[in-house]
Amino acid sequence: MELLEVKKLSKQYKNFALQDISFTLPKGYIMGYVGANGSGKTTTLNLITGIQKGNGGEVHIDGLSREEDERAYKEKIGFVGDDCYFPGDFKIKHIRRALQDFYPTFSGEKFNGLIRDWKLPENKPTKDFSRGMKTLLMFASVFARESKLLVLDEATNGLDPVMRTEVLKLLQSYVMDGERSVIFSTHILNDLEQIADYIYFIHEGRTVLYEAKDELIESFLLVKGEMAKIPPALKKELIGLDENAYGFEAILPSDKAELLGNAFLCEKPTIDQIVVHYIKSA
Amino acid sequence: MRALYYTKIDYMLTRKQMRILPFFFLLALFVSRSTSEGGLSLLVGCSYVVFIASIFSTAPFAYSGGKNKGFLLLLPATVKDRVAGRFLYGLSFVAMLGLLCAALFGICKMTGMEVSRWMIAAGLCELAIGIVLVTLQNLFFYLFGEGKDNWQYLNNIVRTAPGMAMFFGTSALVGEVQDAAAAGTLPDLETLSGKMMQAGVVSVAAALLLTVIAAVVCAKVISRRDYA
Repeated sequence: MELLEVKKLSKQYKNFALQDISFTLPKGYIMGYVGANGSGKTTTLNLITGIQKGNGGEVHIDGLSREEDERAYKEKIGFVGDDCYFPGDFKIKHIRRALQDFYPTFSGEKFNGLIRDWKLPENKPTKDFSRGMKTLLMFASVFARESKLLVLDEATNGLDPVMRTEVLKLLQSYVMDGERSVIFSTHILNDLEQIADYIYFIHEGRTVLYEAKDELIESFLLVKGEMAKIPPALKKELIGLDENAYGFEAILPSDKAELLGNAFLCEKPTIDQIVVHYIKSA
Repeated sequence: MRALYYTKIDYMLTRKQMRILPFFFLLALFVSRSTSEGGLSLLVGCSYVVFIASIFSTAPFAYSGGKNKGFLLLLPATVKDRVAGRFLYGLSFVAMLGLLCAALFGICKMTGMEVSRWMIAAGLCELAIGIVLVTLQNLFFYLFGEGKDNWQYLNNIVRTAPGMAMFFGTSALVGEVQDAAAAGTLPDLETLSGKMMQAGVVSVAAALLLTVIAAVVCAKVISRRDYA
């Protein structure tokens, strides 16, 4: 059962266009949405949350589009960004009051519990919170109510490793009941290795790769060796060929492995390596 | 209902300015009682209150720009809710200051100052002008100024100039009325007070209608915009 359905989403700017982005995310899964800076990640996530309006396409969350019922649609979304979106002058009590008003499923008790557990200061305005505290506050505001889709835009950037691990655990527990999903854009691709089930790779507003993570890793080989030994037939198939002091490094679709012979070193690539070589090849 | 929740958020956003409101009330009381026009100075005091209302009632735009806006946009509500909430904030602010004006009238009457019916009617007209000013300011911020940080200078002018013009305009008008009264050319305003009262009520109703129309227009226009 699909929780998030994105069909042919487009957004036109003066110098950039997001073109025909389509994917689905089943219930209970985590999708990593990756790409270089300016590739269209935030725009896509903003179109999903409804902060921005697209020039075409559709988004459905649990079968509901924003056009059908904007309030119900937004209730299904929890958003955590890289920057705190709460007004800087607000203290935790103001945020609690506002969330209580707008979200029927908001639990003040649960919220207070998270604030206590994470030792967030009750009497400071949010502008004086550390970066980690701001991120945790956004998570508390989402976890204290019922939502279906958690949208994270670079939410783990700038967090220390301990806190990042904590957040990743939270995400895994969020999808544990099999009814909720997470779409997660990040630069820290190591995070995706740990928790993502699907990878959507976008470059310059267009889809490059969209696959289940394990299949994606299986479908490529990381190839290293001497530049001079690359036959022309292989060279054509290598993606993101990168020459360095010790030779070259590139990725190769697994189904072209027969072109390698035994002159090269092959290993399973990481998501990071696949993405980096694709960006180089673009 | 969600529009009212947005109004509540606006009050939370601007809570610091609420703390200095009593100071402005005392200043308005001072203006009402210190000038030499007798009961007429009450109208100057009321126009001062409208001036304050026109500055303060659009303050949420200053507090909810840029990054601060994300929270408002993510809340489960429609653009109509959000715009209606902001207009209701402006109206409630004017209404609150209208009550302060009524309190000014009461205090002045209790302390022996002349308060005629026609002055109350004129006060209603001032209230209507206040509503119109706030409505036009909201309209401006939604249609042109919202989110444009480099428009800060123009935004400040839009927030202060209309109320200031009304304050000085009323002061000048009161002076004219006094001169006319001294020259014996002023019609008996007390006999016209019934009609003036009707005009006052109608002008408040018309101003409220204008507010509703402006809110609908703003919601329609910004619903097509990003980050709005």
